[in-house]
Amino acid sequence: MKHTKGILLLMLGIFLWSGVALAQPKLTIPESIFDFGYVPQNSKISHAFWLHSTGTEDLKILSVKPG
Amino acid sequence: MEIIFSTGRRQGKQSKRPRIETNEGELAKYVQIKSEVVANPDSTFPVRISPYKFDVSQFGDKEVAERKFVIENVSDQDLDIKLVDMPYGMFKLELPKKVKAGKSEGGKIVILDEWLKEEFEKSVTIELNDANNTRFTIPVKRTIRVPGQTASTKPESATGSH
Repeated sequence: MKHTKGILLLMLGIFLWSGVALAQPKLTIPESIFDFGYVPQNSKISHAFWLHSTGTEDLKILSVKPG
Repeated sequence: MEIIFSTGRRQGKQSKRPRIETNEGELAKYVQIKSEVVANPDSTFPVRISPYKFDVSQFGDKEVAERKFVIENVSDQDLDIKLVDMPYGMFKLELPKKVKAGKSEGGKIVILDEWLKEEFEKSVTIELNDANNTRFTIPVKRTIRVPGQTASTKPESATGSH
């Protein structure tokens, strides 16, 4: 009985640990390239990219640096 | 995430690759924008868009909410035109679906009420069904100068600008 209890506790521990270990933020960008085509000089153009958080933990955007 | 690209006096093919760092891991992710900057829309293009920049500025008390434009098909084939991209909830765009070879069709961009008191610089991207699926991006700019009033600018959602 004691032995079974120990195994159950161990399994529960592994289950909880793996849950914590697997919790991961994940960024998915469905469309990561956009082609504006022809654009006139001396103008400002813009495009919105969708960023999806598809992980099991909150995704934090730490920085965006111009390329 | 909005990426704003100022073409300035650049010319020719341009590509930018902003880097996004997250708590996902050490490897950053990227988005990429491509364009071909031209000094003046050229007659070698299959269509000519007049004007090639949509200026919906308002100077004075009279409200300016729309700008008409013309798309002239200077190629020898009928062309379908489709809208590829424009900012959500800012404009209503009346775009001709087809322009026959050698003909012109009119269109109109209308600023939605919510944005009439704002100044902005955005753009609209269209695509033709020619052999190259040629794309054009037309800048849309609104400046407001009304005597005794100051225009507002809604905060940009952009996190990167070139």
